[in-house]
Amino acid sequence: MKDIKRIVVLASLFLLFLSAGAFSAQEIAIQAGTILPISDAPIENGTILIKDGKIAALGQNVAVGADARVIDASGKFVMPGLIDALSRLFVIDSELNENRSIAPELNILDGLDPFVKEAPEVAAQGVTAIYISPGSRSLIGGSGAVLKVNGSQDVGQMLLKGDIAIKAAIGISANNESSSLGRLADYSSIREALLETKLYIHNKEKYERELAEYNKKRAEYDKKKKANPAEKADKPKRPARFRPNPTREVLAKVLSKEIPLQIEAHRVTDILNALRLADEFGFKLILDKCTEGYIVAEEIVRRKATVIIGPVSTSFIDMPRLEYRHHDIRNAAILSEKGIKLALGVSGRDGASSKFVTLAAAMAVANGMDKDLALRAVTLTPAEILGVADRIGSLQVGKDADVVILSGHPLDSLSRVEMVLIEGKTVFERKDQQ
Amino acid sequence: MKKRRYLSFLVILSSSFCPVSSGGEPQVLAIRAGKIWTSADGVITNGVIIINNGKIQAVGENAEVPEGAKVLDMSDKNVMPGMIDAHCHIGLSLDILGEMDETVAAVAADMQILDAFNPQADDVKKALRSGVTTILLAPGYRNPVGGQPAVVKLDTSKADDWVLKRTAGVEFSLMNQALMFDREPTSRAGLIELVKEELDQAKVEKGDVFNLRREVLKRVVDANLPAYIWAHTVDEIASAMAIIDEYKLNAVLVAAGQGDEVADMIAKRNLPVIYPPLLLSSKDKDLKRAGAMANSSVKLAFASLAPKTDLCDLRTSAILAVKYGLDKETALKSLTINAAEILGVADRIGSISEGKDADLVVLNGDPLQLTSSVEMVLINGNIVYQRQGE
Repeated sequence: MKDIKRIVVLASLFLLFLSAGAFSAQEIAIQAGTILPISDAPIENGTILIKDGKIAALGQNVAVGADARVIDASGKFVMPGLIDALSRLFVIDSELNENRSIAPELNILDGLDPFVKEAPEVAAQGVTAIYISPGSRSLIGGSGAVLKVNGSQDVGQMLLKGDIAIKAAIGISANNESSSLGRLADYSSIREALLETKLYIHNKEKYERELAEYNKKRAEYDKKKKANPAEKADKPKRPARFRPNPTREVLAKVLSKEIPLQIEAHRVTDILNALRLADEFGFKLILDKCTEGYIVAEEIVRRKATVIIGPVSTSFIDMPRLEYRHHDIRNAAILSEKGIKLALGVSGRDGASSKFVTLAAAMAVANGMDKDLALRAVTLTPAEILGVADRIGSLQVGKDADVVILSGHPLDSLSRVEMVLIEGKTVFERKDQQ
Repeated sequence: MKKRRYLSFLVILSSSFCPVSSGGEPQVLAIRAGKIWTSADGVITNGVIIINNGKIQAVGENAEVPEGAKVLDMSDKNVMPGMIDAHCHIGLSLDILGEMDETVAAVAADMQILDAFNPQADDVKKALRSGVTTILLAPGYRNPVGGQPAVVKLDTSKADDWVLKRTAGVEFSLMNQALMFDREPTSRAGLIELVKEELDQAKVEKGDVFNLRREVLKRVVDANLPAYIWAHTVDEIASAMAIIDEYKLNAVLVAAGQGDEVADMIAKRNLPVIYPPLLLSSKDKDLKRAGAMANSSVKLAFASLAPKTDLCDLRTSAILAVKYGLDKETALKSLTINAAEILGVADRIGSISEGKDADLVVLNGDPLQLTSSVEMVLINGNIVYQRQGE
């Protein structure tokens, strides 16, 4: 009797396990009114097939299995999850920086609060990924990361990619005051750190060469000694030990173009200084904020720098700081017209602001930015700039199934987000059908 | 296309040399618009607005264009009434924030904020560019009994006509911010007591001794002059309502941020609300409040409170409110006619209707879309702003 009971329990558990397994592996088919893949032209009345959290197929003629879960989005718009490239969700303002000028070895991931209450509101507006980087109080402040807003409270589960870029800042005011001399000092301190890193790399390589040499000689010496212990030979001298330096190690990755340097610069002189640094050291430059970029657009074009603009409108920030004195709402339009690769970040006053990504794009459009480019600037372009375009940013076969279903065009201010999926899992679904 | 450009060029030329509405003989301007959001009789598609001597002479699909009228072809544009910012502090040099408030005396009912106004200030131009043509220029909220706000138009080119009301009312503040550690009152109870005392004294004041402060408060207790009462939280709103009931004031609530929680009580008293800006950082819960209040039949107007926040753009506030539940038509009315009614200037402005001032905003799309932008602004039939490149 007892055995039978046990068998029944085991069997039902097994069945439960099977069905759960089947559920997660179930195909999802979204039948859409209009698909905006961003990477390609819009598809009318198409289907997106999702398998194992990835996009398995999309187009007008997609075969859907009989047991697939079908989501009816006819008459609706379907697009890739939005990205806020200048977010501060999960970060407490005071924890953005160490009060130290050069600290590239810090990692933003170590200062996160994954329990913030605003995260679900952000996901509910279709924002599925955010880029957070250290603040502007350090000259070089550490590395930023791309996280998914997937409702998890485990940073490891949210993390899409860390060490996206090393954040630096030139010419940021302190207590809303700044001097040209102070800003020049910022520039030269960063330059000094990079020059020291060059020297560090040189010394390290020299040490490695010498060590290799030593190892070779030592091996020969040992061999000789073993063959003929009586023979006199000079014992090779071990080179002085090299002490690795974590700060320099990180900056070395910047110089070897392994990690981009993301420089926050607002004013013309600071932007030009950032470009000069990139010219001198040849690192991959991401211009961050770039408030007065519209004045020196040609220079940015020449350097082929990528740009993350934010905030589009000063409506996103409190009493504007000195840096935004010459803020122009047409900045994004002017830079993108010149062919500069640019993403739009919200850069709001706090984490909740990240939910207004499409509104920021709409404001850029109102002030002259091309509609398609504006949409790209909150999806595929930031994914490319941040080096995560293999996973997110567009609806393409093989990419993560981070999908947003909207009642209307995403740039229509009154469109409502109906449903949000991250890697095929529903993270938001509108309940009230207004 | 070329022709249209040429035409508008002509209009600009003429307007810059001799304003359309002023000068010797009255001139007539006709605006053909793709959509006219009247704020009075719904939306007119492919209509015409006839402006004579700065006033709207006719509006409609079939309004006849008089001979010799200058025609402004806006047939692919949207036209709405000039927006009204029902509470802001622009044109005051806020480098010293004290400019807004009297920080030594708690009672400053005789202070007229218009005396501190610089009509040429940058933020005035900025407001104009965003489509705001009239504002309630207000003192701050640090005086329990504050100064007198004014209703002004933002076209200050003519010396006299831009002030609609020098004294639009008297400001009161029941908010915590009206308490200062170095000035009485220092407590909520003391604050309410002070406000009541001032009103009581104004009530019994005889005209023997001339006192500017009492003079103006007398008009408030006689309900001849509105009391603009700052109250943000539910308890502050409750205090405001108690005072309004006791003294039978003609009152307007300012910044009733938590007003939705007591919306029925506000609606029962027919108290209009001047609502603070909806911020692009607010939680969903707070963004829903304006809509919830309006749905409980509270009459709303929007305020930018600029430049305290840089949300000079009133339209953004209205769009956010709509996104979070406010009815579209109510939102447009709140930006225009409702605000005009609350400020007591609906005979002059607030809608595109016959006889009203020709204060108009031309947009390249639906006013409640963030993708639309303001291309032209007219006040009294004069083009006071035109976007570059149009």
